[in-house]
Amino acid sequence: MNVDVPKRDLAGPFVARLASFWRPLRNLGAARSRVDGSRSLLTAAEFQEELAILGLSGRRFEPEDYSDALGGYLNISIAVHVIPDSWYPELSRQLAISGLLGELRYSEQMNMAAIFVPGSLPPLVLTLTILHELGHLAAGDLLIEPEEQPEEDIQHDEEAEFTTLPLKKGKKLARGNPFAEESLREREANLRASYALFAGCLGDENPYAHDMYDVL
Amino acid sequence: MSAAQHQALVLGSVSFVAFVFFLCFLLPARRTKFSVFAACNLLFVALMFGAVALIDLSGGRAEIMVAVMTELPVVLIVAWVCLALAGGLPAQLGNLPAEPVARRPWLRAVLGSPPLVLLLCVGLATAVGLIWPSPAMRVYAPAPPQFFILKGLIMAPEGFYAGIAALVFVMAGRAPGLKPRFYFKNLAFAVGMVCIASLALESTVFAGLRVWLAGEGRRAILETLNTVEACLAISCILAFTAGLSLRYTPAVARTLLHRLQTGWLRAQEQFESLEWRAVSAGEADRLTQASDAVVAACRMKGLSESDTQKALATIRLVAVMIDPSSETQNITPEAARKLYELQEEILRDDVLASKLSWAAGWRSRAHEPQTVKSAPLHDALKAALDLVDNHGEGEGLRTPPLWHYIVAVSAADAKMIDPAHVSMRLRDGAEHRAAVEAYDAARRALRMLDDHD
Repeated sequence: MNVDVPKRDLAGPFVARLASFWRPLRNLGAARSRVDGSRSLLTAAEFQEELAILGLSGRRFEPEDYSDALGGYLNISIAVHVIPDSWYPELSRQLAISGLLGELRYSEQMNMAAIFVPGSLPPLVLTLTILHELGHLAAGDLLIEPEEQPEEDIQHDEEAEFTTLPLKKGKKLARGNPFAEESLREREANLRASYALFAGCLGDENPYAHDMYDVL
Repeated sequence: MSAAQHQALVLGSVSFVAFVFFLCFLLPARRTKFSVFAACNLLFVALMFGAVALIDLSGGRAEIMVAVMTELPVVLIVAWVCLALAGGLPAQLGNLPAEPVARRPWLRAVLGSPPLVLLLCVGLATAVGLIWPSPAMRVYAPAPPQFFILKGLIMAPEGFYAGIAALVFVMAGRAPGLKPRFYFKNLAFAVGMVCIASLALESTVFAGLRVWLAGEGRRAILETLNTVEACLAISCILAFTAGLSLRYTPAVARTLLHRLQTGWLRAQEQFESLEWRAVSAGEADRLTQASDAVVAACRMKGLSESDTQKALATIRLVAVMIDPSSETQNITPEAARKLYELQEEILRDDVLASKLSWAAGWRSRAHEPQTVKSAPLHDALKAALDLVDNHGEGEGLRTPPLWHYIVAVSAADAKMIDPAHVSMRLRDGAEHRAAVEAYDAARRALRMLDDHD
């Protein structure tokens, strides 16, 4: 995952200070906001809320539909490039050696994201890899302030709360801020991918979708 | 018995009957957090009205306190329903918002505000009542304008929030493709909330008439409104009872879904991705030649693309399991058997097996999506385990398909497995001989191609 950050105007310390005052006030006003510096990993129910925002709750959908809906919501263009091995034989080898399955590039200036995956990936892995990279976009992982220093969390069980980072200006789908620790961001992107795969397959048979029509 | 006591007796009786009905029929069958809360509320209302019917509380501030207390259960019900719709209840009580609310942040903010707004209004109304006492519990007695303010302070927000909640239930019920049971459930709750909104309106009008209406017809109008109030209360209780009694059991249980997410999907993804890494990075050295020969042999024998893919997946699995690298050390026969069992568990569930599928490529709707059954990995796991695992029984492979023989011959030739084990496992039959011939021919053809290059 790579981010091309545009050269920002030097807003000056005054604006930065104003922003630091504004952030907690904004969080106070948000309904049930969990932007409080720590949170636990995404649950299937929370992911269902995200799907409802995208208009995909209770519907069968493919990763393409998720990508289109997410791009529309974030107001960015998302392009997925499945590169056949015959075009660029070294891509698969390079990715495999580096332990990666795909790559996400994001340009803030051009308001677009591109996902690159090798065509030789098995279909399930291809689907999950694309959903994983889309999960980073949904979480707002690419909006982390570059100067923010990640902190290491010691606990790693699912119920635990982990430190999050403040974001620069930009839109995200997730309600909570991204985790400070990269391994947790990757783990949450994996969770999003698996939730998306099951939700897309089950459609109106998804028990979490039912809960949104059966609140009492 | 005064008119107020009579009215309290009617409302108390209705509440008590509803409470008994909840306790005997609804709660044992369907116990939700809301149904328990509603039952407690009904009991509280029944006790409150019962007390008013037995003790004549006319005059003074006690009358105001009792009047406000009798309003509290409905206020609490409205607040609970709004919070539930906004997904604002604590996690252990269920915290998913209604679908139409999740898509509208402003609606979520509105529905999240009732506990604060309603309790503030009740507090203000109590203060007004205590400062300017009025005959709140004497149903037909003329009242001062302050009584209208007291009622309005509680009823206006209560009616507003009940109306909004009814609207959300209607929106949720109108979702396209919704199961009929959810449609009727949301419809019932919408009717219930409309009844509460109507009760609030009726109560405000009633208070206004008590303040400003005079003359001969006054009593008759107020009596009519009282009857309307009782009817609305009964309708409301019936509507909520109907809504709560409608149950829906999902075809896929949440626990099963969680197990598949953390078990099957993780394992299958790990298997396929690690295998892909090993193959793409060229870590399984003996594999390249063997897999080329397997594919060529399958094509020579005219096997389908699906069978060729299964053969290829099997030879890859065998190679990775026999010669694990640091990356693929998790691909063991034990892990393969576990994954196979998870796949079998999915295949035993008809609904799940028919639903779980994934596209064969990006934006390639023309191709058939893969399923647990059709993905090459399922049969490949079984075949690879049969070839690699010396302790397994190999029950399902009494008459293996031709591609399985080709893989076995290839794996034995590449020294991945013991040839004696292959002969013992697959026996020397016609299929085995055909596989040996095809494999030899494929090897010769590949060698000729290499020499030509």
